[in-house]
Amino acid sequence: MDPIREHAQVETRRSFFGRSGVLSLGAAALAEMLAREAMAFPGADASAKLPSATGGLAGLPHFPPTAKRAIYLHMNGGPSQLDLFDYKPKMDALFDTDLPESIRNGQRLTTMTSGQARFPVAPSKYKFARHGQSGMWVSELLPHTAKIVDEIALIQTTWTEAINHDPAVTYICTGNQLPGRPSLGSWLSYGLGTMNQDLPSFVVMTPSWSSKGSPQAIYNRLWGAGFLPSKYQGVALRANGDPVLFLSNPSGVDAAVRRRSLDAINRINQAEYDSFADPETQARIAQYEMAFRMQTSVPELIDISNEPRHVLDMYGPDVHKPGTFARCALLARRLAERDVRFVQLFHRGWDQHGNMANELPVQCRDVDQASAALVMDLKQRGLLDDTLVIWGGEFGRTIYCQGALSRENYGRDHHPKAFPIWMAGGGVKAGYVHGETDDFGYNVVRDPVHIHDMNATILHCMGIDNNRFSVKFQGQDARMTGFVEQYPVKQILA
Amino acid sequence: MDLSRPTLAATALAAALFSVAALAEEAPSTKAKVDFGRDVRPILSENCFVCHGFDAQKREAGLRLDTHEGVLETLESGDAAVVPGNLEDSGLIFRVEVDDDEMVMPPPKSGKKLTAEEIDVLKRWVAEGAPWGGHWAFEPVAKVEPPRTEDASWSRGPVDSFLLARMEEEGLKPSPEAEPTALLRRVTLDLTGLPPTIAEVDGFLAAVDAVGLGAAYEKAVDRLLDSPRYGEHMARYWLDAARYGDTHGLHLDNFREMWPYREWVIRAFNANKPFDEFVVEQLAGDLLPNPSTDQLIATGFNRCHVSTAEGGSIVEEVYTRNVTDQVDTDGTVFLGMSVGCARCHDHKFDPITQKEYYQFFAFFNNIDGPAMDGNASRWQPFLVTPTDEQTERIKAMDAKIVESKAGLDAEVKRLAASYDPGIDEGLSEDVVPEDYVWIDDGPPAGATSREAGEFVDAAADRPVKSGRRSLRVQAAGLTQNVIETTGPKLKTGAGDVLFAHVHLDPANPPREVMLQWKIGGQWARRAYWGENLVGFGKDGGVERLRIGDLPARGEWVRLEVPTAKLEIAPGTRIEGWAFTLYDGVAHFDASGLRTGTAQEGRAYPNLTAWIRDRKADGGAGLAEDVKAIIAKPRDQRSVEERRRLIDLFLTAGWSQTDEAVTKARDELAKAEEARRKLDGELSTTLIFRERPGEPKPAFVLHRGEYDQPTDRVTRAVPAFLPPMPSDAPADRLGLARWLVMPENPLTARVAVNRFWQQVFGAGIVKTSEDFGTQGERPSHPELLDWLAATFQEEGWDVKAMMKRLVSSSAYRQSTKASPEALAKDPDDRLLTRGPRFRLDAETLRDQALYVGGVLVEELGGASVKPPQPSGLWEAVAYGDSNTKNFKADEGAGKVHRRSVYTFWKRTSPPPQMTTLDAPSRESCTVRRERTNTPLQALLLLNEDQYVEASRALAQRALREGGSTADGRLTRMFRLAVGRAPKASELAELTAALDDFAAHYADKPDQAKALIEIGASSPDPAIEPRELAAWTMIGNVILNLDEVLTKG
Repeated sequence: MDPIREHAQVETRRSFFGRSGVLSLGAAALAEMLAREAMAFPGADASAKLPSATGGLAGLPHFPPTAKRAIYLHMNGGPSQLDLFDYKPKMDALFDTDLPESIRNGQRLTTMTSGQARFPVAPSKYKFARHGQSGMWVSELLPHTAKIVDEIALIQTTWTEAINHDPAVTYICTGNQLPGRPSLGSWLSYGLGTMNQDLPSFVVMTPSWSSKGSPQAIYNRLWGAGFLPSKYQGVALRANGDPVLFLSNPSGVDAAVRRRSLDAINRINQAEYDSFADPETQARIAQYEMAFRMQTSVPELIDISNEPRHVLDMYGPDVHKPGTFARCALLARRLAERDVRFVQLFHRGWDQHGNMANELPVQCRDVDQASAALVMDLKQRGLLDDTLVIWGGEFGRTIYCQGALSRENYGRDHHPKAFPIWMAGGGVKAGYVHGETDDFGYNVVRDPVHIHDMNATILHCMGIDNNRFSVKFQGQDARMTGFVEQYPVKQILA
Repeated sequence: MDLSRPTLAATALAAALFSVAALAEEAPSTKAKVDFGRDVRPILSENCFVCHGFDAQKREAGLRLDTHEGVLETLESGDAAVVPGNLEDSGLIFRVEVDDDEMVMPPPKSGKKLTAEEIDVLKRWVAEGAPWGGHWAFEPVAKVEPPRTEDASWSRGPVDSFLLARMEEEGLKPSPEAEPTALLRRVTLDLTGLPPTIAEVDGFLAAVDAVGLGAAYEKAVDRLLDSPRYGEHMARYWLDAARYGDTHGLHLDNFREMWPYREWVIRAFNANKPFDEFVVEQLAGDLLPNPSTDQLIATGFNRCHVSTAEGGSIVEEVYTRNVTDQVDTDGTVFLGMSVGCARCHDHKFDPITQKEYYQFFAFFNNIDGPAMDGNASRWQPFLVTPTDEQTERIKAMDAKIVESKAGLDAEVKRLAASYDPGIDEGLSEDVVPEDYVWIDDGPPAGATSREAGEFVDAAADRPVKSGRRSLRVQAAGLTQNVIETTGPKLKTGAGDVLFAHVHLDPANPPREVMLQWKIGGQWARRAYWGENLVGFGKDGGVERLRIGDLPARGEWVRLEVPTAKLEIAPGTRIEGWAFTLYDGVAHFDASGLRTGTAQEGRAYPNLTAWIRDRKADGGAGLAEDVKAIIAKPRDQRSVEERRRLIDLFLTAGWSQTDEAVTKARDELAKAEEARRKLDGELSTTLIFRERPGEPKPAFVLHRGEYDQPTDRVTRAVPAFLPPMPSDAPADRLGLARWLVMPENPLTARVAVNRFWQQVFGAGIVKTSEDFGTQGERPSHPELLDWLAATFQEEGWDVKAMMKRLVSSSAYRQSTKASPEALAKDPDDRLLTRGPRFRLDAETLRDQALYVGGVLVEELGGASVKPPQPSGLWEAVAYGDSNTKNFKADEGAGKVHRRSVYTFWKRTSPPPQMTTLDAPSRESCTVRRERTNTPLQALLLLNEDQYVEASRALAQRALREGGSTADGRLTRMFRLAVGRAPKASELAELTAALDDFAAHYADKPDQAKALIEIGASSPDPAIEPRELAAWTMIGNVILNLDEVLTKG
């Protein structure tokens, strides 16, 4: 949408008060600013087909990106890779035998299981089968994901140092275990700017979930801007109340009254600018205008009434319920369509220390169909080529059982040494499995991918060299991927 | 969202990143000599130090460029980086100029590249003999005379002289003085965080007429510094640095009670506590001689870090993180140094070794409390800090306890006469399991009996085993007697045996006898004899366990069931007992527990029995000295000790105790219980305190990992700074005093720089968090030193410093920007115009409530929760968190308080604050960003409290502004910004008012809906449609740039 034309339309539509001679100040300020932004965005490589963006850093992207935007489906709590993606048939014969010390190898454990007398092997009770042309193994809990295996690159061997939720999820989302660093989406907004003038460039959703255990917390810092200006933080799109905080006019104030009040505000502000010449005043006029446009663009975004039946059906029946993962996945597609740079969903409830048999299936039912639908929906619209979809948690789970073990039910503790993340679209190799773990799914035997490498890969797809993308913070060149150089995993890339 | 041009802050950030900030430093002119510190070191630091710097582990080719020796040294290759005066032989010059990707420095993969100007600087530096110098911030503070300036009339003091001299160098001129009204608004906002009232503006203008601007202004500044609002406003900035929050910040993010520390900060600023004392008390108040309550509260500074009790966490890892946070925060707040960089390796840029980091760490490595917060609001060490009112109540309660005790003593004395100690002779105090009969002639105290069965007196066909009665149950099919208690329960120990005596009717015996016990609200433990006819519970386990055949008829038989067999754990409290029959008749009697465990509510026939139970339960509830007496063998107790035991026994358990004693005893118990309850309500605050004994050893941690300690270290300060005095204690107190000793080059500089930043928008050192070599150099180094030296000379007097800053001519300038000044100095680093920037989140909210006349001003106290959109906490919180559900406070007394008192949940801070750049308070923040976004517009236009403030402002204007629209609009405008509106502004507002009035004229429902928003009620005297139209005018005014901006 052309913001200037849009603004002009608003202006002409505003026949309500019948005033003539209205100065379209917001539009004027906007036009000037866009012109300035355009000059400030030379583009790094003339041959690259860059999305038109505003507000990014000069020199970025570093090279032609394969993804203009990304959708990150975060499964908070640590989904059990052993019951979903990492097929370990040899475990069946080892049911209730002790995990060999040679496998655990003295690795530190959380204090939830470090006191256990023994570490008995808990084979997955779920059936695995090969799927698609690629023959990727997927468990019966993810029947829909199984249908899109030829679209995804599955990394079996992501690993992290953190073994508890708070540090681990903070680590994967911000590149540091301690609070205070910018999140991935805010780095992207800061570096690449926005491609949409009516919506935030980084949108976050926190859908509902079905497991009954007490859910792990998430934190605003996971989409926070850390030491970057707060305007780069993720904007939460909410299922209840105002979809964006304070979006709605107060009761008793309709759009016409709001428009009229903005005209008064902006005109007085323009006069203020004329006497004090503070560029911030002009920026403020433009921001008030954008706020007004958001009052239209956001409701339009979340109104799914014109989505065709067959599309809604793809996402499953939950899509009709606001706040579900399915609805949020559909909204993620709508956001991608509108060129929102980065969308992140935080689906909670994946922390199965016990009662795997009852909790894991309901969690999978929440996300399986809609995750697959999102990928296929993007594909059908031609958006998958330049949209990166990422799916995964903050760590994996242990092969040994936590608590009571039976063939039918068991629990698993946190396991940071190997866990799966899959990616689709946006320049990744489809139908590809990266890395391999040992027979116990415990240690990586081939191609470990540290979460910094993982994030470096995402940045790479977005056209960013992570080692050259830094902000001076407390004297350091602070990066998303830490102080030491990290490199994207080239094998995953198409 | 980034439609705007980057804000000032962001622009500057980008500038700092990608180029040398143009005006922050004097650009080296081609004629002037190169200044090493100003021109050369920044280039070396930015481009070279990572590989050729302080960190010996990472030093490439043996070359170091952070010391003069290193630069001049002849390397193994035979070359030297720099040969003074000789460009040809200087390897450094060759390597930065060479046109070869393999050779050129910095390497292309680093992403860094020298500009032609930078290369030119390096060449001229070498040509001029490569002079060297230390980093400015580590050099002693040097107070130089303020420079002379061409314009002798403008300057009001040294601050202005330094600033003006620099302007003159750059060919710039200061701006004229601001309008008096604008000036008063500016200084009132800067010193109190609230705007002036109309009366204050009018009073000021009258004073200006009477005594002149200078005298009137000084008087106004003094008045503002004396206002208690000053402390509230100053505290805000400090609380960002201290990372103060009302929750733990990690995982469960539960409530943490810490607000007495916040109150201390407010008090300290209001009392103008000298800044050196302010520092010492916060770092080491507990180590001062006889520390006062306030000095202990102050140490909460180091306890404000985020904390966790996440299940599975490793204690030592969490402990290390806590200390690390303290060290890093102290480094930033006091030294302006990113010491945290040296946690894993020697600092890349600044001369702090990893070892020195852990020597600093060692000062804090000895807290007297656990690493994990236990998810509790009170986390050791903490201090109880009763309010004055609570202190009064405590006094009254303590008096009541003393009085009750005296009453009881008198009764006991009387009763003691009737107890014959002789009956204890020959009895053993050894604890042995014995029968404790719980149910005898009736249900136990506090219990009821229901359903079938009754306690019957002995008769021919009614056998009784003990006492006067037994329980008779007559059944046809399934029948039971159920006894449940809300009083004392039956308490089990290890190896206990449940027992009951039963007598089966010889003529009509039951087919099955079952006993059932209620535990934790559940009837899920059962034992039975005979047939398996009662179908309760799961068969074959503890829910229905067969013990044996029916006992013999016509005689008393003892039934026994070991508690272990029913998996009843020791310590369990049994709250019910059921006697169940299938058909037939049976009598039950003397049922209970064979146990060594003391039983609740038990009455004892003699002292010895009472002592046995006290031994069995470890003296629970008794004073320590009484426990000690009980532990002694009987013959070793003195007469007084024996007396003491008898007194206690007589009040606490003698079966013959009379009602007068019981009453006196209960009264005392009630008084003590009330006191305990109050203790639970008293406010508390986390403090720092040393562990007793030897300090916990500290080690260098390899790569910063808690589980990889290497060399043991002792407490010491970094070597690049002056040493601690030799007689200083090697503890936090010594460290704190070292920070504020005159030789320390950083603390005063860092502190005054933040005060400067607060008032002028950017520090003299813009990177107020980093004074190291990677930080930005001061725009006015001599001025910074002059301020730092003066601050110390004046006894670290913060109010005097604030007064000096706001009294300067620089501060008092108009904020109007000329095109020339804008082009040359867009960020106003040279102060050629007055400071102008958007107000902070707290100030904006407070201002709106204040101009609407609804702000509730009350100093200090616990945090309050103004309303926020629903679902924000719920969306992120852990299921078991006690800050999972947000419930807004009610009543203006809470929801209209100043924002400094708003409850800060760190994983989901109040959006009214964070939308406007307030930090999350999860980590130390000494410099807020200042952005300009549409989300801020939405907040300021639509949020309930801002709308409520708009209406309140409208009401005031209608009440106070006379009867004309002009008068009312003028009043409203003045309430918000002090000055009267210009004709054009008045016309604009009048037109809008007309339109709003026309709109609401036929929409009474909309009007009503609008004016009813908020915690306060609309003025009923004003017609709703009129008030709605005026409310929208209020909304317009509160969103004007001038209102949102300090200008």
